[in-house]
Amino acid sequence: MSRVKTAFLMVLGLIWLAPVYLLVVNASKSVDGYDAKTVWKPAGFSLFSNFGDAWSKAALGDTLVATTMYSVIAPVLAVLIGSAAGYAIVVLRLKRGFLWFVFIFGGTIFPLQMILMPLFSGYADSGLYDTRVGMIIVYTAISVPFSAFVMRNFFTGIARSVFEAAVVDGGGLFRIFRSIYLPMAGSALAAIFILQATFVWNDLLLGLTLSQSDSVRPIMPALTGLQSTYGGASLPTVLAGGLLVSLPTVILFLAAQRFFSRGLALGQF
Amino acid sequence: MAPLFGLPAAGVVALLLYLPFLWTTYVSFTQYDGLASPVWSGLANYKAMFSDPDLTGALVNTLLWVVGMVTLPVALGLLIAVLTYGHKWGTWLRLPFLLPYAISGVAVGVIWGFVLQPDGALGQALGFFGLPGAHTGWLQGGPGNTLMMIVAVTWQAAGVNALLFVVGLQSIPGEPLEAARLDGAEGFSLFRHHLWPQLRPITTVVIGLSIVGSLKTFDVVWVMTQGGPGTSSETLALSMYKETFVLNDYGQGAAIALFLSLVTFAASILYLRYQLGDAREQG
Repeated sequence: MSRVKTAFLMVLGLIWLAPVYLLVVNASKSVDGYDAKTVWKPAGFSLFSNFGDAWSKAALGDTLVATTMYSVIAPVLAVLIGSAAGYAIVVLRLKRGFLWFVFIFGGTIFPLQMILMPLFSGYADSGLYDTRVGMIIVYTAISVPFSAFVMRNFFTGIARSVFEAAVVDGGGLFRIFRSIYLPMAGSALAAIFILQATFVWNDLLLGLTLSQSDSVRPIMPALTGLQSTYGGASLPTVLAGGLLVSLPTVILFLAAQRFFSRGLALGQF
Repeated sequence: MAPLFGLPAAGVVALLLYLPFLWTTYVSFTQYDGLASPVWSGLANYKAMFSDPDLTGALVNTLLWVVGMVTLPVALGLLIAVLTYGHKWGTWLRLPFLLPYAISGVAVGVIWGFVLQPDGALGQALGFFGLPGAHTGWLQGGPGNTLMMIVAVTWQAAGVNALLFVVGLQSIPGEPLEAARLDGAEGFSLFRHHLWPQLRPITTVVIGLSIVGSLKTFDVVWVMTQGGPGTSSETLALSMYKETFVLNDYGQGAAIALFLSLVTFAASILYLRYQLGDAREQG
């Protein structure tokens, strides 16, 4: 029975890996060496020159810099803002804390479609449209509710006596937050950061709506642009682009799988 | 003093999420092109959603997505979880299914757009094994194109569901299971009578998340077909984007957005009740 199980899982796993195989093999073919009739057969290895093509022709270089900025800065800000909220609600016993929590967390329930149009108009009116600052602001806002949710749960698990002792020692509320509570929350902060950085990196819809120039537009909208500008002939370039933008999140995922499963356990991703 | 720590979060959420939410709600009851002032038109946009053939088509496609996503990836995820849980190489056997989860919707669209080209990878594979359908244009007509894209997203989502089910399985106490095993329960009967009932809460979460996710389906469709040919594979999330930013019919786009939000909210209650219930007990 166990052997049947294993064999079944391995066959299914191979089927699952087939698209990945096709991606890598065909992203590695030179533009001239690519033949639409033999996509399953490997032929040559021009992966890096295809990466180069995707990088320069589609201006993915600029957008990679911008997207890296968004994926680092916005989650960091969200983690800080969210943990401050968690700290206020749980540790400082904010009045009507549960209402605050529901208000902040409620920000994630509705789909992005609900806020796209006003954000677009508001950004256009305020000069934030097609700016890096504008992108960072919106990514931060989107990430705050989840961050507050996790940090609230995390701080709930810390003994009350920690706070009382710190107050007796004469620490101010901000100092207690910065030098006692934040350091204790290291793994939770890392988990939130990784999940939100992945979200920002993979975002298409907000980037599509709130940006247009190469230096501001995030990587995913840029990749869809690459796909439509090029015809079937340079499919290897498009596929190389797809592979290139997937590498960071795949590596992050493999390196930090336990954080992802923790995030999943919280019912969020 | 305490509110000071809560204000940044509440402020940013109010300004960038709730305020736009309210504006969209208002605009959905108006005719508005983004330039002139909105003109009140009552439920006209909502009526159009259920009479305009393009939009009813998108509604049907969205329904297909919901049904597809609560069945295929959920069933596969459960199967993978049950088969790998407690398996010596469980973590490794699960890895191929998890890998696609780390890839963005856009990249999934690029990969599967390639696989599903007419006479492309799938066609060639079918031809090689002598199976019918080698020359099918997978994405060239509805509802076939929607179904194939559901397959693509199943490829991406099954592993995540498996991981969630594994978390659920881990929370089941071991002793009653051992007792059941000693009583001779095994295989499917062990699963049905002893595991499945205890997986109910996590199943609720997985199905809730699947519904919510499927209602938002945008990225994969945007990359693979842009909703076409014509509007044959459009989902409501895509219609919302097109109505607003391509056709400048902000009111219609807003109505679709609000409709999606209401359904999403109803589905969210499914799993939020479970989550917030948890949170309330703790807090």
